[in-house]
Amino acid sequence: MEIKVLGPGCPNCKRLEKLAREAALEAGVEATFTKVSAIKDIVSYPIVSTPGLVIDGEVVCSGRIPQKAEIVSWLSEATRA
Amino acid sequence: METLTNITGLLQGGLGNLASYLAAHVLLCLLPAFFIAGALSALVPREAVTRYLGRDAPKIVSYPAAALGGFVLAVCSCTIMPLFAGIYKKGAGLGPAITFLFVGPAINILALTYTGVAIGMDIAVARIVLSVVFGIGIGLIMALTFRHDDAAHAAEINGAFAGAAVVPGAAWAFLLLLVALLIAGTLQVGLLSNHYAQLTLPLQGVDRLQETLYRWVPFDATRGEEGVTAQGAVLIGLLVTIGLSAWRGLESIDEGFNRWTWVSLGLIGLTLLAASLRFVPRAAGLDLGITGRTLAVGAALVGLWYVAARRLEEHQVREWLWETWRFVKQIFPLLIVGVFAVGVIREWINPDWIQALAGRNTVLANVVGVIFGVFMYFPTLVEVPIANMFLSLGMHRGPLLAYLISDPELSLQSILITSSIIGRTKAWVYVAWVAVFSTIAGLLYGAWVDGTSAWRIAGILLAGVAALAVALRYVGMRQESSARALEKAADSGSAGGS
Repeated sequence: MEIKVLGPGCPNCKRLEKLAREAALEAGVEATFTKVSAIKDIVSYPIVSTPGLVIDGEVVCSGRIPQKAEIVSWLSEATRA
Repeated sequence: METLTNITGLLQGGLGNLASYLAAHVLLCLLPAFFIAGALSALVPREAVTRYLGRDAPKIVSYPAAALGGFVLAVCSCTIMPLFAGIYKKGAGLGPAITFLFVGPAINILALTYTGVAIGMDIAVARIVLSVVFGIGIGLIMALTFRHDDAAHAAEINGAFAGAAVVPGAAWAFLLLLVALLIAGTLQVGLLSNHYAQLTLPLQGVDRLQETLYRWVPFDATRGEEGVTAQGAVLIGLLVTIGLSAWRGLESIDEGFNRWTWVSLGLIGLTLLAASLRFVPRAAGLDLGITGRTLAVGAALVGLWYVAARRLEEHQVREWLWETWRFVKQIFPLLIVGVFAVGVIREWINPDWIQALAGRNTVLANVVGVIFGVFMYFPTLVEVPIANMFLSLGMHRGPLLAYLISDPELSLQSILITSSIIGRTKAWVYVAWVAVFSTIAGLLYGAWVDGTSAWRIAGILLAGVAALAVALRYVGMRQESSARALEKAADSGSAGGS
């Protein structure tokens, strides 16, 4: 599973990355984490505002910091799919 | 011994500056402003503004929307940059994107309110008006200059700018209440400043405390300085406790509320109320005057609590507090350091230099203001105490505005990121125009300060923008007709050939 965190390096995206890693541990999911910080690359995703969370190429959340429980449920869905 | 006196003098300068920048009337502005910034960031969906910035938006809509977006959506550069890139690549194009990029740092709510309360409302209003007009102007110019590139670059339609979000009703109410709190705290009007009731606390020795504080941190009232009063000391103490409890209560607010959240929120409300009281220490005890301001602030706080508890969803309140705390962490510590440093440095600078360079509203003076703003990088909000320092040393208000507008716009880092998005040429052209327009803004405002009628200045501004809009329209029509001519030629060519 590939998890990408989109954000230029401000406290919000750092927080999202931390929560995503913890959620992956909780969900028992093996994932590679990539942080996309170059604005050029962030813009190539269909989001309007950072931070953004991409799971296996699909944007699941953008513009806010989701709760860890939400991330865990998205990860579980992605493994089942 | 002399060195010791010197060092004491510098320390007192720094502390004195800190005291005036954390005085009651500043806190009544700054604290609500941080919460407003947090609310704008958390409660206003980006889509509510970006829906007007789509590829097909007419210019009369996209430019003002970009300016409004800059005001509402942009408090820190990490928000501004991705949105700027998005508007440029997937939305309305270079022009509105540049307008957004310019307006954002220039009139974010924190800088604006701080300027208003620390330097003066006239300069804050000038900052808004001129930044918006010039932001739209620079956007139009950039669109005009680079029209060929703009037409050619890829049009990825991915729906990001075609949303239909609106700001929910409860969020509107909440924002308006926060603004009401800000106004209640800062408006200088008899109704608010008069005191209506008095409470005397039998606390002995507060007047002696105040005398001691005045001795430790002497101030010069003729220079507009304020010393550390007993009230000031109480407020600073409260701020420290807020900082400590907020650290426990707001740092992980995205996971949920805890006891410290309530403690810190309560302390903040208490601080605002304390700042609005009138402290009069007497030999017999401490007289607390309950002013109109106290009542208004109290009413606003109750209203806010009601909306937050009953009308907003829990995640909205959490996000609001998270965003507010994030801005506080990013800005406040550096602000304290900056204010202190300005207080120290101010003792060293010779007023004659400042007056020689920028004492009058000349082109050179304004250019000096802009160059200083462009090349010196200061953390957010610190440009205000620095501007105040120059003002007290003799700088004319015109070059001062030029400095205030250009300082937040450009730092080496922001120029690098901008050029990674739009290319080096465009980025440096943008920088040049920012410098030019900041200078003009300073000259115009300085002219008004010196006596030129506001109508005349408004007339000049409108004429400039109108000329730009007409030129862009004309160029657009020429482009369209030459494109159609090319199509016709291609058609008749292929018809003839087949």
